[in-house]
Amino acid sequence: MRKKYTIPTYFAFGWLGFAVFLAVFGSFIPIDGYQVIHGDFIDSPPFTSGHWFGVDSNGYDIFSGIINGARLSIFIAVVSVGLGGFIGSLLGVTAAYYRGRYDSVVNTAFNVVLSVPNLVLALALVAVLATNVDINEAVPTWRRLITLVMSLTIVIIPILGRIARAATLAWSGREFIVAARSMGMRDRHIISRHIVPNVLPALIAVGFLAVGVVIIAEASLSLLGVGIPDGASWGGMIARGRNDLEYNPHALYIPIIALAFTVISTNHVGDVLRGKLDRREGRL
Amino acid sequence: MNSMMSIGNLHVRFATPFGSLEAVRSVDLEIPAGASVGIVGESGSGKTVACRAAMGLLSGSNVQRDGTVVFDGKELTAMTREEVRNEFGTGMAMIFQDPMTALNPVRRIGTQLSESLRLRLGMDKKAALARSAELLSLVRIPDPEAMLKKFPYQLSGGMRQRVMIAIAISCNPKLLFADEPTTALDVTVQAQILQLLSELRRDLKMSMVLITHDLGVVANHTDFVAVMYAGEVVEQATTAELFANMKMPYTQALLNSIPNIEMKSGERLQVIEGRLPNPVDRPKGCGFVTRCSYAQQKCHDEHPPLLDAGNGHLYRCWYPLGHTIARKP
Repeated sequence: MRKKYTIPTYFAFGWLGFAVFLAVFGSFIPIDGYQVIHGDFIDSPPFTSGHWFGVDSNGYDIFSGIINGARLSIFIAVVSVGLGGFIGSLLGVTAAYYRGRYDSVVNTAFNVVLSVPNLVLALALVAVLATNVDINEAVPTWRRLITLVMSLTIVIIPILGRIARAATLAWSGREFIVAARSMGMRDRHIISRHIVPNVLPALIAVGFLAVGVVIIAEASLSLLGVGIPDGASWGGMIARGRNDLEYNPHALYIPIIALAFTVISTNHVGDVLRGKLDRREGRL
Repeated sequence: MNSMMSIGNLHVRFATPFGSLEAVRSVDLEIPAGASVGIVGESGSGKTVACRAAMGLLSGSNVQRDGTVVFDGKELTAMTREEVRNEFGTGMAMIFQDPMTALNPVRRIGTQLSESLRLRLGMDKKAALARSAELLSLVRIPDPEAMLKKFPYQLSGGMRQRVMIAIAISCNPKLLFADEPTTALDVTVQAQILQLLSELRRDLKMSMVLITHDLGVVANHTDFVAVMYAGEVVEQATTAELFANMKMPYTQALLNSIPNIEMKSGERLQVIEGRLPNPVDRPKGCGFVTRCSYAQQKCHDEHPPLLDAGNGHLYRCWYPLGHTIARKP
């Protein structure tokens, strides 16, 4: 019996597809760049001719900002979660499979990182790593980007690593692992063919939740002033827009709406995928 | 007679928070080539642990195995992990008790079955799938081609156990351990599976170790029997000799606890009262003493050695059945 998708699911998939499309092809869309200053239109409300989402107090077109901001927000989230998920599950799965001292070390490391609040950790890492010894010298954007991704990756590693470890612990005690060993399969085959396919659904579901967490973390870091300084991401737009909240609220609300839709969609898609990928016994 | 596997003085100890737990102690067992050996005992008597230890499947830092296991002329206990691994599948294989958990739920039957063929015998994907279908028809699964594409949850218990058997025999093992292969199945399927195992053993010229708690199964499907109790072999003989000339009160108690067609309606099944001795803190005498209706003072004080009744019939009892001694009222 195949459950039909509901309308919110179509919306979530649609929105995520749209956001990813913007992230990949946004720069090819023939509109002005997000940093072009429209001096005559400063503080125009939404639905102004030529500026559907209005213009903020710097004269930046918000529509262009949303389209171009998707690139950075989505890129940072996907790369951090992908990298963090890969490293985390590699550590988590091997730790739970081999146990012993290695497992204790990995698990303790996860717990130490988890004991620091996500945002504080990322903030500390970015603040330390993306600073020059001479504070007057500007840090290049690419270096900021790399440190941002690295910090968020470090935040993600224990989150997904623990899920992978817990799931592996549950599965590696199962009889079919012993059965595979009794047929002379090597550890790496058992891990890649028997454990990973069972652990993956949980990881994918949590991975989507983690994408949401990272998008918000990146926005929060921008708000705190340690994001990408050019303000190309949605978080950067929020950071700039909050100064003009009284007389230009749409400059804040529109990127927030884009951000919220994206996070809600990733969460929802994560849930739906978990249900779909869950091919367990008894699900007839 | 050639020996397929010879287990000598096998001990298995688990380190537990309550002390060292000796799950198997001083087990000696000969598995002659081409023969079927039954290991009988109640739950917790060490049957499964003894076989897994013999095969080298127990892992973990809390397990300690002592003794010698010689398989097909090679001493497994002196070999490296990698060398032992090379014997798995092609030398020895195991069928597991619960077919519900012994198959990976997320992978198709064909993938799981052809995997060992590809990894151990180096077949390519196409040949391995073709061979898998052959193996499935060998274990009497109808329409094997369609079966290859199914997932375990789509199969009944009996079908899954057949798939398990097909996996176990896929690399032509010389020795097959069948660890209670029918316990999780219902009675009508049990007979079919045991029949299938016996036929496969004959056709493929395998030796087999059949672990079970059912003496009735042993009577029909084995050449030799070892009865285990509390981690020890307490009686050992050819199957014919054992049933003709039972020595151990425990073996008799096991036999009596099988339902009998001549029982009157409303008559209660005989049970073996009491429990296995605590494996961490064993009594110094016979382990069965508290449950044995023939127990004497000597049984409490001294641990009986393995005695020989002639024709290879070994037993571990001070007052075996047929012994003339005043019995407890």
